[in-house]
Amino acid sequence: MLVHSRTGRWTAWAVLAVLFLPLFALPLLVILTASFSTHWSGAFPSGPTTAHYAAAVRGESLQALTTSLVTAVTASVVALTLGTWAALAAAALGKKGKRLLDALFMLPVAVPSVVVGLAVLVAFSKPPVLLNGTPWIVILAHTVLVTAFAHQSVSAAIRRLDPMYEQAAASLGARPSYVLFRVRLPLLLPSLTAAAGLCFALSMGELSATMMLYPPDWMPLPVLIFTATDRGSLFTGSALAVVLMAATLLALLAVSRIRTKASYR
Amino acid sequence: MLWALPPVAVLALVFLYPLALVVQESLAPGAYAEVFASASFREALVTTVWLAVAATAGCLVLGFVLALVIAFVPFPGGKAVSKFIDVFLSFPSFLITLALLFVYGTVGMANGLWTDVTGAAEGPFHFLTTPWGVLLAEITYFTPFVMRPLLAAFSQIETAQLEVASSLGARPLRIVRQVILPEALPALAAGGSLVLVMCLNEFGIVLFTGAKGVTTLPMLVYGKAILESDYAAACVVAVVNVALSVGLYVLYRGVSRRAGA
Amino acid sequence: MTSGIRFDGVTVAYGSNTVLDSLDLTVEPGEVMALLGPSGSGKTTALRAVAGFVRPASGRVFIGDRDVTALPPYKRGIGMVVQQYALFPHLRVDANVAFGLKARKAPKDEIPGRVAEALEMTGMAAYARRYPRELSGGQQQRVAIARALAIRPHVLLLDEPLSALDAQLRSGMLAELARLHRELPDVSILYVTHDQVEALTLADRIAVMDKARLQDCGTPQDLYRRPRTEFTASFVGNANLLPVRVGTDGVTFAGADLKVPVPGAAPGSAATLCVRPHLVGLGDGPNLRGRIVEVQWRGSTHRLYVEVGGHRVKADVRELKETPALGTEVTLHFAPDDAVLLAAGVNDG
Repeated sequence: MLVHSRTGRWTAWAVLAVLFLPLFALPLLVILTASFSTHWSGAFPSGPTTAHYAAAVRGESLQALTTSLVTAVTASVVALTLGTWAALAAAALGKKGKRLLDALFMLPVAVPSVVVGLAVLVAFSKPPVLLNGTPWIVILAHTVLVTAFAHQSVSAAIRRLDPMYEQAAASLGARPSYVLFRVRLPLLLPSLTAAAGLCFALSMGELSATMMLYPPDWMPLPVLIFTATDRGSLFTGSALAVVLMAATLLALLAVSRIRTKASYR
Repeated sequence: MLWALPPVAVLALVFLYPLALVVQESLAPGAYAEVFASASFREALVTTVWLAVAATAGCLVLGFVLALVIAFVPFPGGKAVSKFIDVFLSFPSFLITLALLFVYGTVGMANGLWTDVTGAAEGPFHFLTTPWGVLLAEITYFTPFVMRPLLAAFSQIETAQLEVASSLGARPLRIVRQVILPEALPALAAGGSLVLVMCLNEFGIVLFTGAKGVTTLPMLVYGKAILESDYAAACVVAVVNVALSVGLYVLYRGVSRRAGA
Repeated sequence: MTSGIRFDGVTVAYGSNTVLDSLDLTVEPGEVMALLGPSGSGKTTALRAVAGFVRPASGRVFIGDRDVTALPPYKRGIGMVVQQYALFPHLRVDANVAFGLKARKAPKDEIPGRVAEALEMTGMAAYARRYPRELSGGQQQRVAIARALAIRPHVLLLDEPLSALDAQLRSGMLAELARLHRELPDVSILYVTHDQVEALTLADRIAVMDKARLQDCGTPQDLYRRPRTEFTASFVGNANLLPVRVGTDGVTFAGADLKVPVPGAAPGSAATLCVRPHLVGLGDGPNLRGRIVEVQWRGSTHRLYVEVGGHRVKADVRELKETPALGTEVTLHFAPDDAVLLAAGVNDG
């Protein structure tokens, strides 16, 4: 412990409370409150209502939510497969090859999402692969963006995996493919689910590349939130944002339940 | 070796090839000269860089102080705070701007309080549509990205080390400076460069601010491509932005590798 | 198929760092061979070369008459138990034991029987449905052994299998391993350890390793009673290593003439005399006189450090009624046959 005196400790906590609560807790609280209000032109909101939520779960809004969910699930599954595959392949390579592969797969993190959107737009707006105007172009961009994170977390998990398990399996007569499916992947399962949660959350909140790409009939939730706030419907936007956060949290919660179960086995 | 090919091929098709096309498109005759000559581009470049640098500095200071208190002045609910940070990280950045609109917007909480108390017709807070609003939102959103590696680094510092230091008569500030800070430097460097790259690339916060006066490079890419349909110019700006952030990212990887992160 | 292991000039190097230097060693079918040495002596590398996890730079490894040098680990048909057990945490005990059988595509209807048999043999039948983390260290150890035995290997590799256990469990497991080996007389066992007690208790023969090289090899009795090098003498059991000069029918130590056998040693040459401390007693012979400089009480014995002509000689004597005072002058003696003359300077570590 760093601070021993009672006053010192209280001062430290006060600093934490003064900085932490307004900065991080307040924004989320404000959005939550606003989503239940019709007016906010003073210190406190007024006109409690649930009308925004009633609107948020039907029509255009509901469609945006399902669009986001479908996009996020598809992108996460593909990204996880691709990222895990690359991470496993990299682990089997020599030092140089591993570095190159890791760098390649980490590149999308460094490239601005807007640029990823632009690049995908430029590349797939013309034959041979014409995806512009279809949902696939959004899903594709999301996949590119989240693959890097999937790769990163799976790589880290592989590095932490003790080679003694693989060696024990090999000494018992298991060929490499058997070791992969019966030992390594099961042992990586907790990390894989964590990576899946991360990918899902990132895709759910993705706005930059999506703004560049979305066709009119495939408008994910963040875009809808933007169009709502842009035309001044802040309260509707808040309700949609709460729906977005809730959907993300639910998915993360589900994933962490699978995860504790997997690591407890 | 062969097993590495399929994922690399997919990545090449959906990412590297499109990126190469952007570079190719940016090489259209006169595109670079035209973009570099435009005032809006130079302004966006300057705005982007100073916003990113300022936000990073703010995140480092704030993140260090907060992580320090959370790690070394334990309190009930400390675990919940760490959990909250993880959750916070999984939300999109534009939510912060949305919230700030309610707090500091022209008809938001702060201005409302002001007019209620003073009776003035208008509140004093108008910074939200200026770069300062973007700065506040970026510091708020990205500070947790600094705190996470810091908290991990702090958990490596043995309490015994701190106890020995304080039993030798060192005061808390001295312990922070001489024991904790050196241990935290790699994490600070890694977290700081990550945040710098993310700030350079940030789009949602700026878009939601709706500030006409704040144009960053990603905003310019979006504006040129989607609003003006000037793809060559958009590609030029994109190449500059990529060069800037990938260069920094390479630096970040170097730093974090040395930090063992 | 015959079992047994043969190292034929096996060298393992990482870059310019040779970790195993041309090892020649044969483990007979059904034999327990202990590889004994300090850490970094190359003993684990030798074991991993048999398992197939390190590829020798030169030399061949044989299991039975089969040259396995180029075979991947999963084709070698060995059982292996390592220090940390490496039980698969996501599988229950029975699934862990069945792992090797399933991996080798043993007939499905045979698997439950062989799993039960292996668990029975190690006394773990009652724990079949547990997960590894629900077991104590000793129990995990038994499961690891059962898992290795379930595939009925001809060769069993044990890499410091007891070093993660506490002292009491360790001696229990040692007896257990000895029993298992009696039940499986055809299995050759290569047992890597740095603990001389384990090696002396369990092994038919001990290969003493140091600095990437095989230093000595023989039965435990042989190595203990007739060590060939100073390293063996000091690593296998305790030893007084006294610098002596060879005479015609004995040696001179610290100015005293000692009558000991000097087979083949050239008179006048320098040599080392090895005497086990428990064979040194307090007597009244005229020769080895010295002063007690330290006394340690060890329960059933007293360890005396006696300074003789500038050298410390250790003597373990039956517990004395009265602890001798420091500085007391005593005379030491030992039977001539209990001393072994070693060539000086050879492998003096």
